[in-house]
Amino acid sequence: MGSRGLVLASVITASSLAMAGCGSKGEEQIEGAASSGRLAIGASLSLTGQLAREGLLTKEGYQLCQDKVNAKGGVDIGGKKARLDIQYQDDTSKPDVAAQLVDQFNDQGVKLILSSYGSANTEAQAAVVERNGQVMADSAGADNKIFSKGYERTFAVLSPATEYASSIVKAIAELATPKPRTIAFLSADDGFSKTVTQGGIKTAEGLGFTVLDSQFFPSGATDVSSALTRVKGKNPDVIIGSVHLVEGVAIIKQARELEVTPAAFGETVAPPTPDFAKSLGAQAENVLGSSQWTHVTAGQDKYFGTAKDYARDIQAKFGHAPEYHNAEATAACLSFALAAEKAGSSDADKVRDALSGLDTESFFGRIKFDATGQNIFKPMSVIQIQNGKAVTVWPKESAEAKMIWPGTKQ
Amino acid sequence: MTTSTQVPQQGVTGAMHRDQAMRLLPWMVGVLAVLGALALQSQLFLGQQRTVAAIFMFVALAQAWNLIGGFTGYACFGQVVFFGIGGYFTAIAISHWHLSFWVSLLLSGVVAALFATLIGLPLLRLKGHYFAIATLGVAEGMREVVTNLPDLTGGGAGITIPTVGPDATTAYLGNEGFYVLFLALAALSVLVGGLVARSKFGYALRAIHQDEDAAAAVGINTTRMKVLAFALSGFITGLVGATYAFQQVTIFPQRLFDVNITVLMVIMVVIGGSGTVLGPLLGAVTLQFLSEFLRQNFTDLHIFILGAIIIVAVILLPQGAVNYVREARRTGEFSLLANVRKYRL
Amino acid sequence: MSAFLQATVYGLLQGGLLALVAVGFSLVWGVMNVVNLAHGAFVILGAYIGWGMHQEFGLDPFLGMFVSAAVLFALGYVTQRLLINLVVNGPIFITLLLTFGLELVMVQGMNLAFSADFRSIETSYAGESLALGSVRVPVGRLLAFALAVAITFLLVALVTRTRTGMSIMATGMDRGAARLMGIRARHVYALTFGIATALAGMAGAMIGTVGTFSPAAAGSFTLMSFVVAVLGGLGNMYGALAGGLVIGLVQAWGGQYLPGTWVNALAFLVLIIVLVVRPTGLVGKAFYAARLEV
Repeated sequence: MGSRGLVLASVITASSLAMAGCGSKGEEQIEGAASSGRLAIGASLSLTGQLAREGLLTKEGYQLCQDKVNAKGGVDIGGKKARLDIQYQDDTSKPDVAAQLVDQFNDQGVKLILSSYGSANTEAQAAVVERNGQVMADSAGADNKIFSKGYERTFAVLSPATEYASSIVKAIAELATPKPRTIAFLSADDGFSKTVTQGGIKTAEGLGFTVLDSQFFPSGATDVSSALTRVKGKNPDVIIGSVHLVEGVAIIKQARELEVTPAAFGETVAPPTPDFAKSLGAQAENVLGSSQWTHVTAGQDKYFGTAKDYARDIQAKFGHAPEYHNAEATAACLSFALAAEKAGSSDADKVRDALSGLDTESFFGRIKFDATGQNIFKPMSVIQIQNGKAVTVWPKESAEAKMIWPGTKQ
Repeated sequence: MTTSTQVPQQGVTGAMHRDQAMRLLPWMVGVLAVLGALALQSQLFLGQQRTVAAIFMFVALAQAWNLIGGFTGYACFGQVVFFGIGGYFTAIAISHWHLSFWVSLLLSGVVAALFATLIGLPLLRLKGHYFAIATLGVAEGMREVVTNLPDLTGGGAGITIPTVGPDATTAYLGNEGFYVLFLALAALSVLVGGLVARSKFGYALRAIHQDEDAAAAVGINTTRMKVLAFALSGFITGLVGATYAFQQVTIFPQRLFDVNITVLMVIMVVIGGSGTVLGPLLGAVTLQFLSEFLRQNFTDLHIFILGAIIIVAVILLPQGAVNYVREARRTGEFSLLANVRKYRL
Repeated sequence: MSAFLQATVYGLLQGGLLALVAVGFSLVWGVMNVVNLAHGAFVILGAYIGWGMHQEFGLDPFLGMFVSAAVLFALGYVTQRLLINLVVNGPIFITLLLTFGLELVMVQGMNLAFSADFRSIETSYAGESLALGSVRVPVGRLLAFALAVAITFLLVALVTRTRTGMSIMATGMDRGAARLMGIRARHVYALTFGIATALAGMAGAMIGTVGTFSPAAAGSFTLMSFVVAVLGGLGNMYGALAGGLVIGLVQAWGGQYLPGTWVNALAFLVLIIVLVVRPTGLVGKAFYAARLEV
């Protein structure tokens, strides 16, 4: 290209850069969140990419929350009603984009943030929220690691990761007769699953189980035969998988292929999802799972009623039975509504203080945060697939059915 | 008498001055562009600065890839390995060895360059497809290695660079700081690209691209030139990776060694015009800006639309924008349809 | 010992399936110099078609895969004829870009059409396993393996014994000369691509029976195809089979005797070693090394 062309192109680049930014600072209006009767909340969701499925469920949860709250006229902030206005952006399932979106929301004056799905994205967002002085309600980032960094502006409504496998272990200890002796953990190698495994091992050892060597495999693996072959020889009584849906299905399928038959299987995340029972058919029977919420969770609140009411509303609005990803998302949005009401303001610092002191019942269970921002006050539920459906078997107060033990035919 | 001797002298000197000015012009324009970008910063919100910083990051990455892929013609499909090595080295250096970020930054570039030399020596013997896949294998393999050394790298759970508290060796740069740093890296990469293009080194690389055997026959040490280009490319990419890691604070192997980053680099260079200095710059700015714009305004369909745009752009301009303009100006043939006819089967 | 045998059997079975996934990719790259980044997307599309046939008509996936093959053959033919043929004469990595854009469109399209839910095709027999001594051989995977091997041999026969196959090889060797001989290159290219996508579709349907899939899984299949195809030797059908089996075995053995998370690293290590020691791949012939480009 001749020098003239080069000059032309470079001048165009430079001036378009300048023009792109020109006036933008003036155009963006810092909307005081409740000033116009609106409570603006920013939500970065994984609408595309690896986490698209869960991202959509999270969005549904936020949407239902907005509908229900606005149906009552909105949140009562200092005497005036403010309607929820949740703005969605796609973070393509990548943590760096999720963090970038938090910054972009900050530019627009949106200080209240609803988290993206998953611990990796939430961790990235929490760092930015802390720096910018925003406040975040975490709906799906359970890894305890996020809350061990001294962040004060992120609050997780869901039970921490260490509870996922621990609750299954506790349920087995309480309800299984004859009580099994050995447990083997099969875990994916992502941060969240590893934390889950650590928590499960700690609880199991504390309750007197013998924990065999844990087997790890790459996150997202569809072939876990090596891990299964290695535990087969040790004959564990219980196999617990710290996994997500893909590995969870693979474990059950391949365990059958390889004739690995413990007394029961327990898995995190996968069993409560409808795809699990659908993919496995009869093989899914009696598999245990842990869930942040089921439709028999105790508790109610003024916007959503009981868990059963919530289930009905999700079914009516979206045409499918709710999964716990819906519920935890709605709970996060609900906690913002309640906190803003309590604080009488939409100012980020006041909402933050209100959140840290929140203690309320809801359709999701108890919402209260400890000093690090985690909700350790709500137990997880343990479900079991019986006749193709996930039924709650633990804790006893909300159990729908008795736990079937042993889960597999010996 | 004076008239007859003065005129030719004026003509010669004048031409010389014009030539010099023409040669300096690109550099002056470059300086202008950098100043323009710095001026732009005052107009942007913090979040927007972060978005534009991402554009600068891809400019640097694309320019670096262009050195080995565009000039030399050795398309490296594993370029992200340098990005990841740079990022992880910095993360480890700050977290475990308590070095300052600036020292880690420089060292990361050096380490990436050394790694490039190490794998370049055996792999640059391969040609075309095989080189591409071998480097891809190295990148993917490196990701797996990093995932499997949790004590050093945190494994699949990621590693966090301390930015607050007593362990933090360098204050976090913030969105403004990273804007300037990425801009500096972009400017550096364009500068390096420009210098290489106009130097003997660049000629050697182009010769290797066009006919490696002939280049060797005229006395070019092809191995040394190739490895040098690879190392230089790795150095810049490593610097970018280090900066990115610091910006993200918490990094994961799947992100730092993501093959999609390499694919994006390649696309930017090829759409812009591979083997040119301006091409990667244009390609990076356009593509990154476009994907950001689409993502913000078409939340549900943005990837779909981006894919469609890429398909159309590739069909209409297979040789890249800059090369298309060059050829068109030379031949006078601007028709896009004719362009398509030239490259189709 | 039985663990080793079990791993070996599993590795071979998995390898056969990988080979079927990769053989189309190898064919297209070796013959036409087209790097099809959308290959994994075609595989997943085939899986969805097999799943859809099973859902709507109760068609067994091992029969439904022929439907997948037919639909994807048509799709592949049209794609090559109308889209990729437009850039074949350009710099090599242009086809890469085009297929990258195509992959984005296809994956997002499937995301929108089928949602991101994970699917799997349930059959009554696929989960059963035969017992060979202390080793279990899953029926579903065994069927997939047998079919993959059979199809590879069929493909080789097609390419070496029929006129169509010969014209494909000829066009691959020297397009100009082939055209001079009266071979319609555009049609042959489209045919080759169609065959490749048909094979991808069949593989996809089979994958649907042995595991779960979703649109997001497309990328990993493309990556695996890269590795297997180059490992075996580009353009070489037996090579794809060999490459698949090697990768399957290496991963299975690796998973047995190393910490489970090293399996992927092993696959790439093997690839790099083979490329450095024998660049044309395990079975590839030296001729294909003459394909220089960029």
